[in-house]
This record gives sequence, structure tokens and C-alpha cells, in this order.
Amino acid sequence: MKVYDGSQAEDTQETDPERIKVGIAEYEVTADGAELTTSGLGSCVGVALYDEANAVAGLIHVMLPEAEDMDGEKPAKFADSGTELLVEEMEQLGARSRQMQAKIAGGSDMLDFSEGGASIGDRNVKEVRETLSEYGIPIVGEDVGGDHGRSLRLEAQNGDLVVKSANRENQRL
Amino acid sequence: MKVDVKSLDTFNQLAHEGAQEATRSLCEMTGIDAAVDVTKISLIDRADIGEELGASQFVGVQFGFEGALCGETVLIFEEAQTTEIVEALIPGASDDESMAQSAVQEIGNIMMSGFIDGWAEHLGATIDHTPPGYIEGDSEAILPDDPDVGAHDQVFVFRSEIEWEGESVTFFIYMLPEYEPMAELLGEYAEGDGEAIPIEKLAVFNQMTRQGTEKAAANVQQMTGIETESEVSQISFVPIEDVPRQFGEEMYVGTVVEFTGAPSGFLIVLFDEQSAVTVAEALMPVEMDSDELTDQHKMAIEELGNIMTSGFVDGWANVLQQAVEHTPPRVVHDMGQSILSPLAAQLGQEQHHAFVIDSKMKTDEVEFQSEIHALPNDQELRAALEALDVDRADQTEADTIF
Repeated sequence: MKVYDGSQAEDTQETDPERIKVGIAEYEVTADGAELTTSGLGSCVGVALYDEANAVAGLIHVMLPEAEDMDGEKPAKFADSGTELLVEEMEQLGARSRQMQAKIAGGSDMLDFSEGGASIGDRNVKEVRETLSEYGIPIVGEDVGGDHGRSLRLEAQNGDLVVKSANRENQRL
Repeated sequence: MKVDVKSLDTFNQLAHEGAQEATRSLCEMTGIDAAVDVTKISLIDRADIGEELGASQFVGVQFGFEGALCGETVLIFEEAQTTEIVEALIPGASDDESMAQSAVQEIGNIMMSGFIDGWAEHLGATIDHTPPGYIEGDSEAILPDDPDVGAHDQVFVFRSEIEWEGESVTFFIYMLPEYEPMAELLGEYAEGDGEAIPIEKLAVFNQMTRQGTEKAAANVQQMTGIETESEVSQISFVPIEDVPRQFGEEMYVGTVVEFTGAPSGFLIVLFDEQSAVTVAEALMPVEMDSDELTDQHKMAIEELGNIMTSGFVDGWANVLQQAVEHTPPRVVHDMGQSILSPLAAQLGQEQHHAFVIDSKMKTDEVEFQSEIHALPNDQELRAALEALDVDRADQTEADTIF
């Protein structure tokens, strides 16, 4: 996984932050104000963490609620192990979990055919909430549920999370 | 010869790592920040390879390989993007055609040694390759001539898409191995327990898909009067998280059903927005005021999705000799990746990888293209293939040669 720690900053223009794409079951962390983007969230959840004091931000795109039944898998695929991984990776860049704030988006109920019980989207959101609360990280903004897809842009310079949905106004969390 | 999920997974990973190695070499050499987006292994009709390249001009490099695997590999990108790529390697070189060509070749050299070395190392065998040569051509015509497939109709292809971050540049790597050595290698890597699938049954399954798509296309034609042709049918194998990934942010309108029986899974009918408007209006008695997609258009799409779904699963049911039932269609209008992500996630609770069945239909008459994708439960698919009587493939009325 790539880590952007500022060493490549000379190559980028000062006014135009680097844009880094985060795929499904992937994450990115930045300490140099890059814009982290992820697209096409359906039932998946995007978790954006920001530590303002240490200027470190991170974004992960998780797909399934729990890692426990899946051996040998990528931790970034799951809401629980993925959120933990994101916190740890940001700590490696100097962030502190008690100074982090979270914004989350996604977890749509669209096209859920499971009979009875909560949808995968709901379960993903619930698992993210529980994991964040174990670290004591507050959720300061969210746009979850519904029956539509979303794309996200985390502006690591100020911690804003811009949520784009089809046929809807953009939201800035 | 049999394959199983383990051997398919091994080779999928191998191709993905090869592409990553190639990309790493590219990044080191040029400072380009690129990443491998999707790698998939597919079994596909020979004539359909490269269909996704569209109508653009491509340039790149090609080399042959032999040893544990024989065949051809190409690395290509759109000719229109050459300037950006060449400038990244040798500033100022893009004005000079021969310099630009050698820069493309140089990039090819760098990437390809990484790619093939990764394979050889993993297989613990020697793979020799010829020096990469510069190639240019129109869309799929740039791809190598068919590899030696013997009497088989279908070929294995490994495809990787590599995206240059922040630029609209996509590199494609195609690896086309000869059929027999590839099938043998897949067989060697199979665990040989009850989960193996005879390769020829996967080919039959593709024929079923083609038949299903033809039926669906016939239904579209009957309802709308738009003459359609079914185009591609392929079965691919990818990690579950890569299923939605290949659809991106492009908007689609379509229907999704869950089908039950053996196998169970999801069937997705998708139209790009323009095609949805075109086909919906062909169904409507009066002309619409607006070119925008309205709820009326979506109702027409729902009806059409239903009839296409029935046509498609009838093709399967004929060959499998059992009923395939499905839920009423749910209409969806959203980004492709958002549509596929909840479906992949539902399967992903039980499986790490998925077989994805893709087919397309289109017409030259009007702006119209439609895709049908099936996402079966992989264990049930294996069971269905196990039970499949190859002779019954005749029921599909397709020309099947083994």
C-alpha cells in the first residue's frame, strides 16, 4: 500500500493538491494534504478519518462487515479490520487516535435481496460505528443508508468530506 | 483437464502481480504514478477478444513467450495519449516520431521484463521471451493473431488495466497463452478434489450464455423493432472486490433479479443512459417531450429487463434441464460500481472469488447497447457444471467444437 508522506511534494503544484484514488477494499493515508477519492459506493462504506492537529488524513472503502469468518483476506475489505488498519496506518504517520474525527458515508440499502435481518449496508455502517467507538473516535458527519450510490472526496487540507450522489446535490460533511 | 477455484485464483494472482511488477518498473523509470486497476482471467470466444477497446487507435509493444507457457503478450495504450507518456520519459521527444516510437518501445521493455519474470519465478520454470517490437493498429486489430487453440473455439486471456493516477491514461496488458499448455498448467495447479471443473464444461457454459443472450436479443427485437445482435460472451474469474470495480462511475439504467435454482445468483441487465432512452422510446406509443430519462422511461426499462431476463435464463434452463426461477426485476439507475457492489457483497459473505458472466448486445441502426451480467454462487455453479451433460449443449443450437 502506498503511503504519501510528503517526500514527493516537490513534484506537485502548491495550489493543486495531489489526488489519490482509493479502490474497493483499499485505503490511503496522507500527511501532505492530498485529496483522497473513492467512487461507486453502494452498500460499501467509506470511512474518512482526520487528525487536524497532526495534519494526517485517511480514507478506506470497506465492502463487508466482519473479518472473523474470512481467513487470509485483505483486512481493508472489512468494516472492523479495515477501520482498525486505517487508524494504525495514520498513527504511523504521526496521528493520534484520540485526536481523530470520523466522517462516514455509504451503506446504501439498494439491491439487497437478503431475506429478513439487516441489509449488508446497515451492517457495514453498524460495524464501522462500533469499531470507531472502541477507539473513542467521534463521528462528526455522516451520510449513510438510502437507496443510492455515492462517490467521496476527502480534502485532507481541512478534513472536509464531499459526497456526490447521482441525481442529488453534492454534500459537504 | 480440470480447473478449480484454487488454480484459477493462483493464475489470476500471478497475472495481477505480473502487472503490478510491470507497473512498478514503469513508475520507477518515468515518475508516472500508476496502479493496476483490475486483472481478470477469462475464457472467451476468439473473435470477441479486445471488444472493450472500442474504436480507438492504439500503440504499444508485443512480444512472444515460450517455455512453461507459450503465446503472445501486448502492452498497449491509446495513440492519442502517446504524447503524455513519451514526455514523461524523454521530455521533448514526442515531436520526433522515431524518438517517440523508441520511447514507447523502451516503456514496453521496462514493463514487460517485470511482467514475465514474475510469472517464471512463481511457476519455477523458464519462460523465454522475444524482444518487444513496436506495434500500432485500430482497436482490437492491434491484438496478436489468435494463439494456437487447436480445435477449441474459446481461448484463455489475461487482461490487466493500469490507470495513471490523475491522468486519463489507461494501459492494457493482454496475455494470450496457447490453449493446451495453459489448460495443462491450470490442471497441475488444481487440488484435484471434488471442487474441480472440467475446462470444456466452462466452454459449454459460455455457449449457454451466448444462447441466452441471443434469446434476450430476440425478445428486445420483438418488443421494440430494434434489430439487435448479441456480441460477446465470456466467463471471467476475479476476486470478489474486483466485480464492481470494473464498472466505474458511469451511469446505467437497468434491472436486477435474484435467480434461484442451480446455480442461484444475480442477473443484471444494464443500459447506458442514452441507450435506455432510445430503447424505452421505441416501446412507447407516443413521443416523449424530453430527451432526459423519466419515470416512464424507467417503467419501460423494467418491462424490457423482465423480458430479457426471462429470455436469458430460459437458455440456461434448457441446457441444465431444470427450472430457473427469478424474483421480479428491481429497476436501478445509478453508477455501475454502486449497482454491482451490494450484489458482490451478498455473494462475498460466502466466497472470496466470483465467476462473472458477461454478454453484450448492440445494434448499428441506433444508439443502443445493452449488457447482461450474471453473478452465480460459485459452489452451485460448480455443482451445476458437474451435473451438466456436455451432449445437451446441442440444445443450445450453438456450434460447439471440443
